[in-house]
Amino acid sequence: MILSRMPQFLSGKRLDWGLVSLAFVVSLAPSNLLRPWTNDVARLVLIPLVPVTHLGSVLRDRIRPSLDSFDPSRTGADATEVLALNDEIDRLRTLYESSRLDSARLEESLASIRATSTRAGKGALIDVAATTGSVVANSNGEIDGIVRINAGTRHGVVPGSAVFVRGDVFAGLTSDDIGAFISTVTPSTRLPSIGCRIVPASGSDPAQSILSAPGAVLKPTGRGTWTADVASAGELTVGMIARVADDRMPRSALGARVGRVIAIAPIEQVPLARRIEVEPIAEAREATSAVVVLEAGAVPGDASAITGAPGGRR
Amino acid sequence: MNWSVYIVAVLLASALDAGLGGLFQIGSVRAEILPSVIVFMALAAPKKLVLRAALFAGLVADLFAPVILADGTPLVVPGPRVLAFALGATAVIPLRGLLYRQNPLSNSAAVTIFSAFAALAWIVVSILRSVVTGGSVPWWPATGTSEVVIQFLGALGDGVLALPVFWVLTRTKPIWGFATKTRLTPGVAREGL
Repeated sequence: MILSRMPQFLSGKRLDWGLVSLAFVVSLAPSNLLRPWTNDVARLVLIPLVPVTHLGSVLRDRIRPSLDSFDPSRTGADATEVLALNDEIDRLRTLYESSRLDSARLEESLASIRATSTRAGKGALIDVAATTGSVVANSNGEIDGIVRINAGTRHGVVPGSAVFVRGDVFAGLTSDDIGAFISTVTPSTRLPSIGCRIVPASGSDPAQSILSAPGAVLKPTGRGTWTADVASAGELTVGMIARVADDRMPRSALGARVGRVIAIAPIEQVPLARRIEVEPIAEAREATSAVVVLEAGAVPGDASAITGAPGGRR
Repeated sequence: MNWSVYIVAVLLASALDAGLGGLFQIGSVRAEILPSVIVFMALAAPKKLVLRAALFAGLVADLFAPVILADGTPLVVPGPRVLAFALGATAVIPLRGLLYRQNPLSNSAAVTIFSAFAALAWIVVSILRSVVTGGSVPWWPATGTSEVVIQFLGALGDGVLALPVFWVLTRTKPIWGFATKTRLTPGVAREGL
């Protein structure tokens, strides 16, 4: 009897007020109540619309390509070839810095292992693969919100995988909201912090230890940039490159470029330290495709590779 | 009003907003298509349906715009934009009798008013949510003042973008099924007929 009267009761203004009240209650609901179902519902709604969002991404890239497409370093040579060579140099430089940072880490790790001898016999070789996904959607509303790419669990993507754009620029991490064919990327500018080494744009000095390069923990400013306090007497100039050197990040992100120093200011309270502002070199939301590096984890039984990647993903 | 057409239009507008991304962006300010669709509906649909239709659009907008929590994980919170769009639509309804709808600038002004009220409600609900749940606001670590400025500039951007969007939507008006009533008021001119 009561149920039969419900449609009449819930109509007109009562229905409107009921819906508004429901929205208000859900708005204030704790995150742990929403997390189990809202992300899944959003993915279900988004998937049929991916062709439309992807079309929008393609249109955006055609109409308003990223500024890097208009590189002024064009000479008499073929512009495409110059750009490709520039990209290749950047990638090789990243590999070089990565290996130097890794070497320094290995030395620290070796010393630790010799001291404790507790981890002998357990391998830590990281097995790396990669998958490429197109950027199919950005978050509505927020400028530097999440980015969605069309690669998911079917392609091996797991939460916490490093995402790169333009070859070697660290653009963020995959979040735990991953579907079969689509995954959500938290952009690097929204990560709580990123440990970095600040090195010259032309690369670090091979004669000096990489650990002598100024270290910094980048904190987001909310304006799409980071700020960090650098307590180092090392040289700091505008244009230097911040490279990832953070044990919390996946091993594959080590040494990757993340940002460029755009401002340096003294800190009055701490005369020996300086505050820097760093802007991202490239962002996932502006890219058409992104590479997700999949780290399969430790390969057991390789004693020779015991110190292979001490900074691997936990 | 033809609900199926409205639902498709809202989904398409949201998807295009998500895909086009930075195309309509200047600095930190981004204009979106969805507010124009809602205002187009709010200016022509029966008044009793406007709020419900705006609530639906808000739900879709929330599904497309997860917030990033302090630990970097995204979370879809269905509600803030639902309430925001409800307030925006409520602000637009009284304008129906005031606006000269053939003028594109009046539609643009209505979209700006809608977006400004929606932004205001979204900021208030976000602050309330952060107080109740103990989390951070979506624009953290930027300040609330900067977010207000960005949102209001975004409302102006929505108004500018409304000019071409309304041009397209007006051409699709017959399929929306809006009931048009012409009220005949007796007067001297009619008595002479």
